[in-house]
Amino acid sequence: MIDWRTRLRSACDAHNRSLDADVLEELSQHAASAYDGLLARGRSPREAQLEIEGLIAQWARDESLRRAPRHRPAPEPPPDGAAGPFAGIPHDLRYALRLLRREPGPVATAVLTMALGIGAATALFSVLYGVLLKPLPWHEPERLVRLEERRGGRPGRIPWTVSNGTYLAWRGHSTTVEDVGGWMSITSTLGGTNDPERIRAARLTPSLFGVLRARPAAGRLFVDQDATARQPTVVILAHGLHQRRFGGAADVIGRTIQLDDVTMTVVGVMPADFAFPDPETQLWVPAHITPVTLDGGKRVSVQIFGAMARVRPGVTADQVAAEATARALTGADIGSAGLAMFGSTGAVTVIAAPALDVAIREVRPAIRVMFAAVILLLVTAVASVTTVLLARATQRRREMTVRAALGAGAGRLMRQWFVESLLIGAAGGTLGLLLAAILLRVLPGVVPADFPRLADVAFDWRAASFAAAVTLLSSLVCGLVPAAQTRRLDLAQSLADDGLAPIGVSARTAIARTRAALMVAQVAVACVLLVGAGLLGRSLLALIQIDRGYDPANLLTTRLTLPQRSTFGQVADRLQRIQQRLAQVPDVVHAGFGNGLPLVSAGGLSGFTMPSPRDPSIVIQVQSLHRTVSPSYFAAMKLRLVSGRLISDSDTASSQPVLVVNRAFAAQYLGSNPIGQRLPYAMYNRKDWEVVGVVEDMKQEGLEIAAFTSTPHTPQPEMFSSYRQLESMFVPSVMLVLRTTGDPAALAPSLRTIVREEAPSLVVDSVMTMEDRLMSSLARPRTYAFVLGGFALFALAIAGVGLFGVLTYGVAQRTREIGVRTALGARTADVVALVVRQGMVMTAAGLVIGLGTAALAVRWLSTVLYGVNPHDPATFLTVALALAAVAAIACAAPARRAARIDPLKALRSS
Amino acid sequence: MDTTFFDRELKRGSAELLILALLEQRQRHGYEISQLIEQRSEGTITFHVASLYPTLYRLEDKGLIEGRWVEKPGQRRRRYYRLTAAGRKVLASHRSSWQSFVAALNRVAGIGNV
Repeated sequence: MIDWRTRLRSACDAHNRSLDADVLEELSQHAASAYDGLLARGRSPREAQLEIEGLIAQWARDESLRRAPRHRPAPEPPPDGAAGPFAGIPHDLRYALRLLRREPGPVATAVLTMALGIGAATALFSVLYGVLLKPLPWHEPERLVRLEERRGGRPGRIPWTVSNGTYLAWRGHSTTVEDVGGWMSITSTLGGTNDPERIRAARLTPSLFGVLRARPAAGRLFVDQDATARQPTVVILAHGLHQRRFGGAADVIGRTIQLDDVTMTVVGVMPADFAFPDPETQLWVPAHITPVTLDGGKRVSVQIFGAMARVRPGVTADQVAAEATARALTGADIGSAGLAMFGSTGAVTVIAAPALDVAIREVRPAIRVMFAAVILLLVTAVASVTTVLLARATQRRREMTVRAALGAGAGRLMRQWFVESLLIGAAGGTLGLLLAAILLRVLPGVVPADFPRLADVAFDWRAASFAAAVTLLSSLVCGLVPAAQTRRLDLAQSLADDGLAPIGVSARTAIARTRAALMVAQVAVACVLLVGAGLLGRSLLALIQIDRGYDPANLLTTRLTLPQRSTFGQVADRLQRIQQRLAQVPDVVHAGFGNGLPLVSAGGLSGFTMPSPRDPSIVIQVQSLHRTVSPSYFAAMKLRLVSGRLISDSDTASSQPVLVVNRAFAAQYLGSNPIGQRLPYAMYNRKDWEVVGVVEDMKQEGLEIAAFTSTPHTPQPEMFSSYRQLESMFVPSVMLVLRTTGDPAALAPSLRTIVREEAPSLVVDSVMTMEDRLMSSLARPRTYAFVLGGFALFALAIAGVGLFGVLTYGVAQRTREIGVRTALGARTADVVALVVRQGMVMTAAGLVIGLGTAALAVRWLSTVLYGVNPHDPATFLTVALALAAVAAIACAAPARRAARIDPLKALRSS
Repeated sequence: MDTTFFDRELKRGSAELLILALLEQRQRHGYEISQLIEQRSEGTITFHVASLYPTLYRLEDKGLIEGRWVEKPGQRRRRYYRLTAAGRKVLASHRSSWQSFVAALNRVAGIGNV
């Protein structure tokens, strides 16, 4: 540090002058600033010193510089607006806007990137809140619990249900809950003046309205008397149905409607915001809970239904469960029905859990994964925008340096960056909010309708607040990096560069290192998301391709709803004629029917005891599905025969009752020689069934395996019998199946025509191909795979574009270096290799970090995967190759540009 | 006409005008003023840095500008100059007289506006 003051004083002394102290200080400061400025412009210290000393000499000679002494006023605050840290912000804003307008391309890209990241994150936050966090819409919802009955520790076939025995034993005898209500979802045919339509309805115990503390919009709710009759005669309408079928008429109370061929009276209408158990339910009827034993103990009637209780204040769910269990144990024995329902005749227990928890259990892991993924997406968007700002920081280093030399404080310069990043963030955040609104608007169309609490997802102030918070945070982070770099401005070096990197320095400046680190982060995030999406995709594929035991391709299916209390015998003729005519339609290979179909209905459940084939002294309990079918059902479904024979036309009402069982049944209950065994199974007065054949297992799916679950699809034991041998069996609906040679959907019209002609009283419901049913049952895994896939592709695009930008910029920076190298003999291949190496090194580092992180993170994904190892090497490898390929493409253009650098021009441009 | 005199007077006048104009927007210190003159004039006005301070002091004596010491946190104190009300008036009149001068030159000698 040269002491200019002393030199000035000595110069003055040499000319026999003395300068005023103030003047001395002012001039020496000017000398110091001028000296630094000369150094910054590239002069050597010696030259600069000589020049300043020349200036000093001139000053020393100048007469007019001697001045009268003056008083020194107290130091004043800084000149340009001294109102604190926010002074000058309007100026910064105007300046920032001007700068941003000058480079519309990169700025627009940055704004769009932020918009996509913030928009996706906000939309998912709304989903997260609406589904997982928002309380249920009932009064004091935290006091509502769901109940599940178990026997021998095993839950029933439908989770979170109780039996009528437990319900009746507990209700009215409880100290832990105020009341408990039950419900069953049903599909009913609404007749009347219009065409009959199938609607979703529910049977509710009158107590349930009390538990929910619901109020009607018109009329009244159910009272206990409504539910005493086996066949209820009153209904309550939902708001939607009231509008649709009755035009919102005020006098609807007291009108009658036809429900499943029974006349019912409307007694109430619920408000528009009441939806139980789901938004699709349009109508409620009273649920009659039957006692367990009827006819003096001769008959057992078991009902299974959902149950919800309102807990008394201060009582825990465990206490409720304990009391319910104790009361349930006093209930009547349900015998073999328990076997059918629960697979065990062991002691009954009841568990209780908060209602919200039960409603969202299935989807919670998936939503969490989606939210984590969108946060990663946001991170990569922020990294991308930061890279853009950092590039601008480098370009404006000179401007920053001059401003600093002119007296701008470091804080002021840093603030400039935050203003710019906040401007970009604000624009991106606004667009993102718009995007989130659009995404949430289309959500119901994209997500499967049975997704829990979908109606509770809303675009409200919470979404806006989240978006604002995320925008602010992202903007601050984006601005932080260039601001921090500005802080560490090295005056001499930054100006000496003249904006071009000195030879030999490629990634060694702090800014370049930061930019490389950001790039590596983007690649890593893209990697993690791609691995996740890849695993979900493979999981989906595995779910589609499971060997289901039957062939779902080229299969047209429909459900025929029969009138109440129809038996097989009553409809046999009509069904046979329909089957015959269908079999004769061109392109139909086989036609069959049965009372159950995978993905649609289980048919029947059976439970009985029998002596074990391995040791007749041991009694085993059998729990099985029971399907009653026509002989051609097996051919139509392409159900493979393993041993023995299938049901045939020779099995009639008068011949030996026969059963065909599936492999699981045979393995579990029948030992090694299933064919010929007799089962002491009593059904509709036919006992002693003989097993004549074994078929492959069919995957039932549907309700029991609704969404992602990690439990393997263990096959259910299943029995098949001929409808001719069970003609007195009640059958509410029958499934028709057609195997075709061509497109099954093309035969739907023929199907409808034939059914209408042969059996006009049967309502045709849901004509769908089996493949459509399958895809629809996989709607959730499909949605998850697509959403995560979308995120992954977006992140990949960001990373690719980012890499392209970084390399292009690097080539521009290193133009002189490359020119020198080429002039010194480097070949095109060497120059290309220089660029490609830079790109691939960043990609490789990103891949290593990304794959490593993915390997750790897939642990959380394993709960939502099916049929694929979370550390599946093929997926990881494919992701690595895909990223490397994208990186290679991103390197291509910059490498080509580098190769075309004319060394003469490059060297001249300094 | 003695061009040296003309030059000198012109330059002196223009130097003062320059400084007043630079101080019109905001306060500045000496080094800043010298840099700005150099940048903005793009070299057409060769301004001897040595004559900056005398000009500043002269203007201050005339009451057209006012200087004061300012201490910013983390920096040495610097002397900032700002325009006084009188200075603004002079600047305005300088401007208009320059404009009429150039217009007259234009009419007489056919020198277009640069």
